[in-house]
Amino acid sequence: MLGSIDLGLIYGLMALGVYLTFRVLDFPDLTVDGSFTLGAAVTASGILAGQDPLLSTAMGTLAGAIAGLVTGLLHTKGGINPLLAGILTQIALYSVNLRIMGKANLSLLREPTLMAGLQQPVRLLGTWTSVAIFAAVALVFLVALDWFLNTDLGLALQATGDNPRMIQAQGVSIHNTKILGLSLSNALVGLCGGLIAQYQGYADIGMGIGLIIAGLASVIIGQTIITSRRFVFATAAVVLGSVVYLLVIQVALLIGLDPNDMKLMSAILVVVALLSPRLAFVQRFWARRRKRMMAAVAEGEEVRA
Amino acid sequence: MLEVTGLRKVFFPDTPNEKIALDNVSLALDPGDFVTIIGSNGAGKSTLLNLIAGEFRADSGGIAIDGVNVTRMPVHKVARYVGRVFQDPMAGTVPHGTIEQNLAMALARGRARGLRMGVTNAKRAIFARELANLELGLEHRMRTDAGLLSGGQRQALSLLMATMGSPRVLLLDEHTAALDPARAELVTRLTAQAVERHHLTTLMVTHNMHQALTLGNRLIMMHEGRIIYDLAGEEKKRATVEDLLHQFEQIKAVSDRTLLA
Repeated sequence: MLGSIDLGLIYGLMALGVYLTFRVLDFPDLTVDGSFTLGAAVTASGILAGQDPLLSTAMGTLAGAIAGLVTGLLHTKGGINPLLAGILTQIALYSVNLRIMGKANLSLLREPTLMAGLQQPVRLLGTWTSVAIFAAVALVFLVALDWFLNTDLGLALQATGDNPRMIQAQGVSIHNTKILGLSLSNALVGLCGGLIAQYQGYADIGMGIGLIIAGLASVIIGQTIITSRRFVFATAAVVLGSVVYLLVIQVALLIGLDPNDMKLMSAILVVVALLSPRLAFVQRFWARRRKRMMAAVAEGEEVRA
Repeated sequence: MLEVTGLRKVFFPDTPNEKIALDNVSLALDPGDFVTIIGSNGAGKSTLLNLIAGEFRADSGGIAIDGVNVTRMPVHKVARYVGRVFQDPMAGTVPHGTIEQNLAMALARGRARGLRMGVTNAKRAIFARELANLELGLEHRMRTDAGLLSGGQRQALSLLMATMGSPRVLLLDEHTAALDPARAELVTRLTAQAVERHHLTTLMVTHNMHQALTLGNRLIMMHEGRIIYDLAGEEKKRATVEDLLHQFEQIKAVSDRTLLA
């Protein structure tokens, strides 16, 4: 169970990346499946080549950023539809990843990974110690992302997703903000891929398949639990969502569901979440919430939707 | 301050839907000029503003702001010189951003955006002072999402944002048309105040002839992509809505005759 929390916290970095594109930029970026494996492939290859694990992980992160950059360029300069731009990069990356790895699976067993200290001499992965460490790492990144989104540049990025015409009229190139957002997002995804490879002890060509759904599910679950967008709550919600998602998967496996059915379960979960706004009782819930907010606005209070 | 020369724009060229939106339009504004533009639908008023703002590319002709050729600049580059308010109150603000975040985005217009905090206490003090001028009480709730404001409040906020950082040219595209009469009156008053206070060179499109006559020092009437009537100074002060309607009827009669001939 604690192992699931470990994984949830690490996957939280990927979920933060998905949050940045899907929610902040309003850009459904499917590069994720490819850039995750890319990060893992570059990191694992680096470690196996005798590189410093920290440097290898950084290279994996950078590789992810470049993948995002490619998708961004395809969309902005090439005028290609966002979904298609992401899929094109993702498919191309499959070949690239195989080239980098040389074969479909790279084992990192007994290699000096970043997690080596948590495996030897005493296995600390899946204990409260590792949970604390990964929680600290996730916290650093979610606070950093929140800080960035509140800088001048970050506000421009948020506005790009919310009202592109307005932010252009305020002097911002939405091409540049989209490219920056996609690069940052896929850097987080690449970093996550590198860390997961080290955590589980191998990189695999298929490890990123369907990951975008896990990311989306995390964002949706998290924002259902924590609806506030004040301070760091929005980004914290995403990481929390990732942990809850992994725990749900774990429980599903414990009660005897086939691991191969997990992708179907994840997809159904996301579909339900996406369809729920159409349900009558959910609509009533939001109507009540809006009414409360408008009343608060009328009272002259400060309100955030 | 603003120099438009021989501007021409054709939409859907070489198709059955070809439409000459602007036909050899020239216009020169001195610093501090406040020009109102009227004309029927499809006269080219909004097209003129959109061309100046860089939203569309001109087929021929040139646009210069304060001596800088902006004819081929994209929107975000022209934004350094231009403040704009759109007709749609939703268009001018970021709904999920707070009032202070919206103002911070406007304050950064024309400057490089880096990793400094968007909203600081120093900026908050500026925003509060500016918002107080609107007399809507918005200075007391700067952390409210702009999306929760009424149309009139949002348009007042958009106007404040457009005038921040003293743009060389202020472009107003029927910015009171979507508001109820009381709110439209308020935004009109705020517009006159802002232009006066910052000595802004302004182009304002309106459908309201009364508004076109009472605001500004010059009035332009457009029809079928051309400027057909240009009133300034004393002449404009004396003009009445009836004069404008009469002028418009004459032009329309002429174009109807050519159409039927």
